[in-house]
Order: sequence, then C-alpha cells, then structure tokens
Amino acid sequence: MCLESMGAEAARSYVDLAQPEHPCLIDVAHLVDERFGVVNIPNSLWIDEDGLIVRPAEPAWPSAPDLAAEDAPSEDAETEAAPPPPGRMGDMMAAAAEIVTDRVPYVAALRDWVAKGAESEFALAPADVVARSGSRGLDESSAAAEFELALHLRSQNDLESARPHFREAHRLAPGNWTYKRQAWSIEPSPLDGPLARFWQGPLPGAEADWAYESDWVKDATAGGAANYYPRFRP
Amino acid sequence: MLITQTRIPKADFERGTGWSIRPEGACRGDVCVPLSDGLTGNDVDVAGLANALGMSIVRHSRDLAALGPASLGGRALSSAEAPDLVLPDFAGNEFDLCSLRGQKVVMVAWSPY
Repeated sequence: MCLESMGAEAARSYVDLAQPEHPCLIDVAHLVDERFGVVNIPNSLWIDEDGLIVRPAEPAWPSAPDLAAEDAPSEDAETEAAPPPPGRMGDMMAAAAEIVTDRVPYVAALRDWVAKGAESEFALAPADVVARSGSRGLDESSAAAEFELALHLRSQNDLESARPHFREAHRLAPGNWTYKRQAWSIEPSPLDGPLARFWQGPLPGAEADWAYESDWVKDATAGGAANYYPRFRP
Repeated sequence: MLITQTRIPKADFERGTGWSIRPEGACRGDVCVPLSDGLTGNDVDVAGLANALGMSIVRHSRDLAALGPASLGGRALSSAEAPDLVLPDFAGNEFDLCSLRGQKVVMVAWSPY
C-alpha cells in the first residue's frame, strides 16, 4: 500500500525496481491511515485467513540484516568515516543514523506467525488488537478531515489553500508522521532525484518562507531520533 | 470523506466511511451503533450520523467539508475485523482486500518520501 497523494507515477520507479509478486496498491487518499490507523511508514498489519487483524499498525521492516556480516569488521574498518556534509543534509543523515529499527525481532515474529497461525504468541486477541491500535478521539478525527481537505485542495493545484489544513492536521495529531511527511515532501527541495522528497524542510537561506511550524529534522530529533519509531512489542 | 451537502445518499456514506447503514444501526465489522429513525432512509443526514459515530466535520467553505473517521472507543480500530478497502494497483486495476480471504495477509504501508 503506497501512501502517496501525488499518484502512482510518483512511486512507480520503486515498484518497477522491486518487481513485486504481491499486489502493490496506490492510496492517494491515505485511506489506510484512516481505516487502519497507520501513522508512519513503513508500517504493517497482519490479517488472518478469516479477515481478522491479529496485529494492528506497527513499524515493519522488509528483512532482517545479516548480523554476522554486519558485525564483521569490513576491509575499510580502519578508514575514518567521512564526516557528514554541513547544514541540513548533515542533520538529516545524523538523525537518520540514530533511528532504531527492530528488524530482527519483527521478522522473527512474522515468521513465527506464518508458521503457527493463531498459536503464535505474536498473534493478538481481538480486544488487544483494538486496544493497541492508535489513539483516535475527536482531535484525530478532525485531523483526518483536515488532511483530506488538504489533499483535495492540493490535487486541485491550490497548495496555498491546502497548507492551512495540513498545518491544522499536524497540530491536532502531532504523532501522525504520514500527515507531516506527505505535506512536507511536496514542498520545494534543493535536491534532485529520489532524495528530493526527503528534504522536508526550509530551503537554505529561506527559512522564514517555510510554511510549517516544524520540519522533519526538527520533529525527528525533538524526542530523540532513536525514539522515532516505537520499539517492537511482542 | 469529502461532502458537499448535508444530506447524501446512504450508499455514498457507506462507500466513503466503511460504515454500513442497517436496520440495527450503523455497523462496521462486529460493531453496530443504534441510530434514530431519521438516520436510516435512502438519503442520510451527515451531521446526525457524524454525531452518532463520533466523526468530526471540518468545513473548508460553504460548499466543501470533510467528514473525519469515527472515534468510538477512542481507538483507531473499533473492531479487529479488517475494514473494507478497495484501492487501485499500479496498472489502474481495482483490488479488493477481501479477495485475499483464506490467506494470511501482511499489509505493508510505504511511501517514497
């Protein structure tokens, strides 16, 4: 499920490269956020053969790295790592390097569920699935409505009218990263290529023109980038 | 869902929110919320349903508003039953999540930003 209001073409190169054998869908309206409680990516939900969710939205990773290879000293181990580039790019790289991803326990749990089904300790009871799904009160409901208005107005090429709704969605649901990342990623970027969408902040020298209260680096580091994703919870 | 009028066809509400209007009330999965008689016709009053289901209505202009998702129970999921979801694939063909019934499904959300 690709959450991308800019449409399939904005994401097609990734799909072409991956050549997935599974269904690969485009969600321009972020229905997956609204209906399943996804608030960041990558996230996954597990659904059993009867259509029951057995794990609600949580950070998900495509594979466990080869830890043995990762821990082994590389041939370049004594070569001093290149310093990060100056400015925002360096800040982005430093924050990204601190992000913790529980690839090993997540993939092990997934394999356990695939093998054991309902007997897996990682398959949650329905009441626990509901309880662990994200918070949703009237503020979150309003945030979703604001976000939908923003996406609609942007699709009409009226980004000026969309921005106040994006800002309000961010204020009402500060823990929803998809609302933020989607909005920030359609603003101008000084970068080219695939990294351009990850800039998500003010242009150098034009900080006063940035349309939002925050940006990715500021928000990701506010609580410590290591806490960017919730840890895997068995 | 986007709304442009205060009363809309029941089918539009159901398609836009994932909640179905039945004699016993507004239902999604194994959860049903009783409704008053005025909310169960062929056209439904959006404000009344929003109030019953804890959905916010946010207005952009006189002619355009959006209806937020239900907030019953204070959680994103009101039931463990997977909500309905139909989305296009990258070739433009509609894909219904329900078509995977009988298989385990790992639903992964990602984006290129």
